[in-house]
Amino acid sequence: MPLVNFTTREITCKLVYYGPGRSGKTTNLLYVHGRVPEPRRGRMISLATHGDRTLFFDFLPIDLGAISGFTTRFQLYTVPGQVYYAATRRLVLQGADGVVFVADSQARRFDENLESLRDLQDNLLEQGIDAREFPMVLQYNKQDLPRELILAPDALEDSLNFRGVPSFAADALHGGGVFETLKAASSLILRRLSQGAAS
Amino acid sequence: MRAVEPWVETPLTEFLRESSAHLVLLMTSSGQVVAQHGFARSVDVMGCASLGAAISASTAEIAKIMGVGSLGQVVHQGGTRRVLLGSFPMRHGGNWLGLIVFGDDTSIGVVQVFFARLANALHRAAPVARESRQILAEQFEDELNASLRSLFGR
Repeated sequence: MPLVNFTTREITCKLVYYGPGRSGKTTNLLYVHGRVPEPRRGRMISLATHGDRTLFFDFLPIDLGAISGFTTRFQLYTVPGQVYYAATRRLVLQGADGVVFVADSQARRFDENLESLRDLQDNLLEQGIDAREFPMVLQYNKQDLPRELILAPDALEDSLNFRGVPSFAADALHGGGVFETLKAASSLILRRLSQGAAS
Repeated sequence: MRAVEPWVETPLTEFLRESSAHLVLLMTSSGQVVAQHGFARSVDVMGCASLGAAISASTAEIAKIMGVGSLGQVVHQGGTRRVLLGSFPMRHGGNWLGLIVFGDDTSIGVVQVFFARLANALHRAAPVARESRQILAEQFEDELNASLRSLFGR
């Protein structure tokens, strides 16, 4: 549940970028970090290996500005995608208000997308969250790669988006689809907040 | 001092007076800041909260894997300052965490005693049931879209 401060009129939400290793989760955050003016973002924290692979998480707080009179902040997290970091993925997912699933569009990575999606469902279930009700957006990243290497968004949609959640083709390295993905995810989270009760 | 909930302020003020802690950060177990005292603008409060929550969560998992029961507190002995990170249960469910930075003007024992009192006082002060309140207007999306457009320079 987003944290709401009625005294100072602030809302803080946690959005987690999930997906298989090297699908572009950190790249999404780096692009946001590079585009958002400094006064509207905090420091980006990356707990990474020497090879720049995410070890625990990346963290980037951004200030979305005033919405309905509330200063609205989003805390963006990524999880490590590699299969063997299952425990840390579960920890980062705790208390998430929404998820962006970053799928790798490369045909050879298709099975890893499916495996990661199943892992997400399992971890949400473990936290007592009904994945069908949970704010989620799919991003089909790396659509800038040569056509012969990737699956088209339609094909990925048929295979991965069985919930019919909002989905976007993306090229996070150059920023394509990053903004649209974040916009859809934040909208879903705030919509849920507006419909439910806050603490 | 800055606190999300007004009922946090009195126990926290008491803790600060008695423990002589320099910095205090209270957060949820998922890394959301609940209250803070002493953080200057140069110190990234949200970054500290996310890392504090990560340390606490990973320490608890290590304890579980090693079969050593729960590790409620972690203490870091720094050069001139020390850090205590501890978790405690809250009445409305879940745990909160406290990240306490203190110096030579107090001791780990004193900080631990008053941190335990702070945890109890917060547990008692927390409202049992959370109040339902309307937060966002029905049509908030126009404002959200405008904010995001300005944020991304579009």
